[in-house]
Amino acid sequence: MYTRWLMSVLLLVVLSVVALAQQPTPPKTHLKVGDPAPDFTLHATDGKTYKLSDFKGKKNVVLAIYVLAFTGG
Amino acid sequence: MSVDSIPANREFAKQIGVTFPILSDFKRTVVKDYGVFNEEQGFGNRATFVIDKEGIIQHIDEGNVAIDPTTVVEACNVLTHRKASP
Repeated sequence: MYTRWLMSVLLLVVLSVVALAQQPTPPKTHLKVGDPAPDFTLHATDGKTYKLSDFKGKKNVVLAIYVLAFTGG
Repeated sequence: MSVDSIPANREFAKQIGVTFPILSDFKRTVVKDYGVFNEEQGFGNRATFVIDKEGIIQHIDEGNVAIDPTTVVEACNVLTHRKASP
């Protein structure tokens, strides 16, 4: 009886740990190193429009995505 | 880049002293294409992609790892070095 109770508690602990570990994990991108970067055309704060493919053969590009403005990044 | 509007990003850039242009993905199409859209919250999760001159992804940082730019700088250095060699 005691063993059964212990097993139940243990199972609960394991499940809680798994649930906690999964909670804060953001969704992972499907993109991998070596994949072609999806093209985009976006407006910017300087009033210009930027198209990723315009940089092809000219410049390397760092695309930094931050969560929201005014939130510390 | 973020999903904020251009006026919001402009004000944000002014506040934090950013001089380079910030892109606005207001329609959330790019964050979806790059697989970082957070459906529950409606914004793009933090991520940095280093894309080489051929348009190929050479480095990805996702989540809190992307706060520290060290690995991105290293990836850029590798690309710059590659450019220097024939």
